[in-house]
Amino acid sequence: MEALTRPLGKLGRATAGALSGMGYAAMLLVESLYLSMVGWRIGQPLRLRAVLEQMRQIGVDALPIVCLLAFTVGIMLGIQFVSALGEFGAQSQVVVAVAKSVTREFGALITAILVAGRSGSALAARIGSMTVSQEVDALAVIGIDPVRYLVAPALIAMLIMLPLLTVFADAVAIYGAALYSAPALDITPSAYMLQTMSLLDPGDLGQGIAKSAVFALLITLIGVSTGFSVVGGAEGVGRATTRAVVLSICWIIVADMIFSYFLNR
Amino acid sequence: MTAPAPLIEVEKLEAWYGKRRILNGVDFTVHPGEIRVIMGGSGSGKSTLLRHMLGLNRPVSGSVRLFGTDLATASDREKLEVRKRIGVSFQGGALLTSMTVGDNVALPLREHTSLDEQTIRIMSRLKLEVVNLGGFQDLMPSQLSGGMIKRAALARAVVMDPRLLFFDEPSAGLDPVVSAELDELILRLRDALRMTIVVVTHELDSAFKIADTITVLDQGNVLMTGTTADVRAADNERIQDLLNRRPREVHVDADEYLQRLVGETE
Amino acid sequence: MNGIEQETAEGCTLIRLRGEVDLSWSQQVRQAVLEALSTSTRVGVVLSEVSYIDSSGIAALVEGFQNARSKGSSFALVAVSDSVRAVLELARLDRVFPIVADIEAIPNVSGAPAWKP
Repeated sequence: MEALTRPLGKLGRATAGALSGMGYAAMLLVESLYLSMVGWRIGQPLRLRAVLEQMRQIGVDALPIVCLLAFTVGIMLGIQFVSALGEFGAQSQVVVAVAKSVTREFGALITAILVAGRSGSALAARIGSMTVSQEVDALAVIGIDPVRYLVAPALIAMLIMLPLLTVFADAVAIYGAALYSAPALDITPSAYMLQTMSLLDPGDLGQGIAKSAVFALLITLIGVSTGFSVVGGAEGVGRATTRAVVLSICWIIVADMIFSYFLNR
Repeated sequence: MTAPAPLIEVEKLEAWYGKRRILNGVDFTVHPGEIRVIMGGSGSGKSTLLRHMLGLNRPVSGSVRLFGTDLATASDREKLEVRKRIGVSFQGGALLTSMTVGDNVALPLREHTSLDEQTIRIMSRLKLEVVNLGGFQDLMPSQLSGGMIKRAALARAVVMDPRLLFFDEPSAGLDPVVSAELDELILRLRDALRMTIVVVTHELDSAFKIADTITVLDQGNVLMTGTTADVRAADNERIQDLLNRRPREVHVDADEYLQRLVGETE
Repeated sequence: MNGIEQETAEGCTLIRLRGEVDLSWSQQVRQAVLEALSTSTRVGVVLSEVSYIDSSGIAALVEGFQNARSKGSSFALVAVSDSVRAVLELARLDRVFPIVADIEAIPNVSGAPAWKP
């Protein structure tokens, strides 16, 4: 009997744990939005400087790596589409295929995965080590709401920077594809880019941007909530960091799938 | 003449950690001007009691009031007003590692006052002088030794001239000379700045040196509260064990003991 | 009651503080001290009726003293009460400020360096 109930119990506890984790993340979201908006009235003002600093760390510092990866993925898509569509003699469709797949999917996805690896983990590590060393407690007793001080700036910076990075990645990836496939299509890269512009409609870009805003929420909330829940010293911080990255990437991909389904029906 | 209102009133406080009861209906009162030491071995519940008094844990039952305000029911504004009037020095210092020592000490002033930068700088450096860290403001916390971190944390705790100061384990991990200096400093702070001070410690020498009154905690119960002389003379076996550093007598039940070793058997 | 009074006697500006100097009005003290130093070269702050001073009050005095020194003016704390002295001693400022017993003892400008503890 016990052999049967034990795994069930385990499953139940894991479900309860996941649910309470989601509840906690939702609470952090509500609290940091509330504090960003009316915090100054209750003595918890959101500091612009903190937001700008986070924007630099999350956005500006990520530019080179996002650029490199977006460019690579662009070339890769160019290669695949040129060869795959070429088999059907539909090479003229390469431009639209690249444009739609990059703006709707890959731009947002690559950027979000990169930022989850860079900044989601950094948030979890920073808040985790601050929790372990009682710095979070110290902030609280000084009268500085840790959510206002640590979460709200990161959340706002992420919500601004991830969509911007995504648009940037879109442009770079399409340019990468243009450089590879323009010769195969017998046009110049700049003509390729112009053709892309005429084929894209704002809805395509909008789809990617809307997704990236959701990814921004996921990355931040998973990062900070795993950070705040760290137990067990330095080792715990390490585990939380890994967990934050793995969880964010899983959630990003699942959310992406759900989004694509509903947006393209 | 009426006695001044107590700064801290803890009533029938209970705390649980999972299924384990940590505090067992603790009553605890501190009056203005006192230096109160909370003494007890590890696992006595003293850290948990401290966390409740700081409003970091919510009571399961019972209440904690600071300056007459119940932190569990207070509004955010009221809580903030209480927090501006207390200072806390944590066991490990808990300095923010991302900023300099000077910025750490100045942080409460920057957050809660509209003083001009020059005054804030003077006030925070003044407090660094008080704790004998004059000139260290530009170092990062990682560049300080354990004793220096404790002193810097103390400077941050008192930078707003709080009426109530909490000090968690001032002498833990410090050599005797440095910890004696800290004890001295605690006494001077009380005398010059008229602070009420609550010190949580397991160090007997330090406790008896600084305390006006001592509360002895053991397994979540207050064994007694009294002056240092009262505690020394206490007719309580457990307190005398603590004072004489005698290990607790372990009760052995053969059946339970064997079961613990062998584990559950069908 | 808290209060600041300012008077001029024998070419010397006196600032008399009363009550508990704390965050709520220490900025006024700072203003008063800096203003007095801008008009007079001999300033004394009388602290005999101060029952408590917090570090923002001390900061105002420190800034005043530094200001006076940079201008070559003379600045002294006069008739310091015991509770103020305790706070000064906490940060060893009793060995920094010129502390005098009465108004006559405030050093003259010309003799500024002549002051010795």
